[in-house]
Amino acid sequence: MSNSKTAAPPAGARKRRKSTSAWLDFLCVLPALAFLLVFIYYPIVDLVRISFTDWNLIKPQYNYVGFDNWIWLFTGSGTKYLLNSLKVTVLYTAGELAVTIIGGIIFALIFNRMTKFFGTMRAIVFVPKYVAMSSAAVIFLWIFNKNTGILNHFLGILGIAPVDWLGDRNIALLSVLMLTGWRAIGYGMMIYLSAMMGISKDYYEAASLDGANAFQRFKSITLPLLSPTTLFLFVTTFISAMKVFQSVDILTSGGPYRSTEVLVYLVYQYAMRDFRIDRAATIAIVFFILLLIFTAATMKVSNKNVHYDS
Amino acid sequence: MKKLFAVLMAAAMCMSAMTACSGGGSTGVTPETQGETQAASTDASDYEVTEPITITWWHAMEEQYTDLLNEVIDEFEASQDLITIDAQYMGSYSELNEKLATAQAAGEGLPAIAIANTPYVAQYGESGMAENLDPYIEATGFDASDFGAGMLEAAQYDGKQVSLPFQISTQVVYYNADMAKELGVEIPEKFSDMTEFLSKVSIVNNGTTERYGTIVPGWDQWYFETFYLNNGVKIVNDDGLSSDLDSEAAINVASTIKEWCDNGYAYFATGETASDDMRQAFIDGRTFSVLHTSSIYNTYVDRCDFEVGMAWLPGGDDGSKLSEIGGNVLFIPAKNDQATKNAAWQFMQFLESKEMNMKWAEGTGYMPTRNSVLTTEEGQAFLEKKPAFQCIFDNLNEIQPRIQNPAWDNLATIWKNGMAEMINENMDVTSSMQEMTQEINEVLEDQ
Repeated sequence: MSNSKTAAPPAGARKRRKSTSAWLDFLCVLPALAFLLVFIYYPIVDLVRISFTDWNLIKPQYNYVGFDNWIWLFTGSGTKYLLNSLKVTVLYTAGELAVTIIGGIIFALIFNRMTKFFGTMRAIVFVPKYVAMSSAAVIFLWIFNKNTGILNHFLGILGIAPVDWLGDRNIALLSVLMLTGWRAIGYGMMIYLSAMMGISKDYYEAASLDGANAFQRFKSITLPLLSPTTLFLFVTTFISAMKVFQSVDILTSGGPYRSTEVLVYLVYQYAMRDFRIDRAATIAIVFFILLLIFTAATMKVSNKNVHYDS
Repeated sequence: MKKLFAVLMAAAMCMSAMTACSGGGSTGVTPETQGETQAASTDASDYEVTEPITITWWHAMEEQYTDLLNEVIDEFEASQDLITIDAQYMGSYSELNEKLATAQAAGEGLPAIAIANTPYVAQYGESGMAENLDPYIEATGFDASDFGAGMLEAAQYDGKQVSLPFQISTQVVYYNADMAKELGVEIPEKFSDMTEFLSKVSIVNNGTTERYGTIVPGWDQWYFETFYLNNGVKIVNDDGLSSDLDSEAAINVASTIKEWCDNGYAYFATGETASDDMRQAFIDGRTFSVLHTSSIYNTYVDRCDFEVGMAWLPGGDDGSKLSEIGGNVLFIPAKNDQATKNAAWQFMQFLESKEMNMKWAEGTGYMPTRNSVLTTEEGQAFLEKKPAFQCIFDNLNEIQPRIQNPAWDNLATIWKNGMAEMINENMDVTSSMQEMTQEINEVLEDQ
């Protein structure tokens, strides 16, 4: 009894140690926190303030104009541009999600063989992720050229009329997605492959003994146990897809006829072409709120449908 | 609570790119002004350079002009002891414009001197970003009156000389002169004669065009703007708040251009590679002519294996044959300190000198801007080297400043997009023009 009494520190000392430890923890995260405050949270707060001004980037002064920018965005000429960009962004995001998740799973299933040949193939599929988007977009600009592009050249050999990949409003967004898919599909594949390797073989052996075929094993074991990975890919891809800019800027500049004018490009247009930082800030805040709502909703839904027991 | 924090963190990370490109983390109510706002003194000694100084020049001259650029800078540095030049290529005009705006907002990193595409003069003048050069001109006795009147006016805002014309061009028609001789045709002087002319020079078989009569650049409204102006369209009404692009005259011009395209006589070039594609089509002989800028003359001559002709753009039925100034001007950012501005002014005077003006004109496709060159033997010598420029020399007084309105860039984007959609998507001209004008009016009123 006496030994145990001497081994256990008094309650006050435990409390002090805990408190010191908490302070140390806080000090450790302080640099990161300061970085976030200065470079992320302060600009967000400042965006709100700017949205109540009439700030033109190249003018030396600006005034506070109340809700003028918000009125312009929701009841003025800005509404149709916002709605159009929202539609384009949602369509693009849905496309990138489909390519990354569905394409990623399919490729992971195809290349889930640990041989030298499949290893090489995996590397080939994954490498485009490392090509800078700006470089890739310039190359795709040539590939998609209506008159001299290699894509139309091959279509011509097959007797198909040339397609205006970047000039047709019904096809331009699909063309941007083709570039995205070329870069993203290998990434989705690698993430799914690593998750598949983490699933215990026991499940598959047990299912086989019970007479489950390959599709049943995939549907009832692989797919549910990949759900944390799918959630991860869904959230990260959603966020990056909503922020798409570079490929649109290089391939189409938001055209033709605003058919690829995604939200970030709209913000860029107002900020850097029209110098209307005030309007750009207003749209950026709307974008921020939309992302916030979506992220919260995804986390809520994921609690019920994601299995972490692989 | 933890979950809410997680959501906030995720969304904040999402926003990092947004805040970066929407100017977050920048200024207070009045961004810091480093130098004097405007130099008002007309005493020459106030504009002298007394200490050694290195100044930065932001330009948009591509690689093919590097040798010429270095030669000019070397000559300037050899001509005096105090100023050295750090010339920096900043990309296209629009990229240069973005970088200037960012530096202006930040209040630092501005160049001592920069070029700007002519449509930006209004924005830079209205915002006070460009130094008023009038006191400099008066104090140092710089002869600004030697510039063509339209060119000088194009570099002004609200009567103030906020820049000086530098590398000046205008819209022209390039045509295959060998083909023209063979067909026995000349570029018509009137827009209303163009449809018939294009039907003669183009080859359309069973609805398929084998050779276009011309190509209308749709990536920049500047190229088709004069067709409207010469046919009585103001584009921006005198009130500055509305447009007449839905007028009968404007609808007639738009219908005519669409008719060319519908018949296969022409196509409306749009997209990121439209300029390159159009150039190549002309070089390959797939089009009889193209509408383009006079500054690209050297490129066409170097790359075409036929004689390149240059003609003035067809004008209106009333004899009006105005064109609009293109190219760029030189300006000095007003936020710089006076010593930097003085050095920039010294350099600007050198760049604008008659000798340098001829050097630019001969080494590029830009035109001479000085009356003392245009109307003298030097001008004739220039014409002997580049005879195609005769059409520009004959019409120098027709070159007008650009329309100046702070919302112009936005208006132009709506206009060219509207034209492209109407022609390429085969939409009704009247309703398209009306819809487009309504959108433009909203933008003009919104400023």
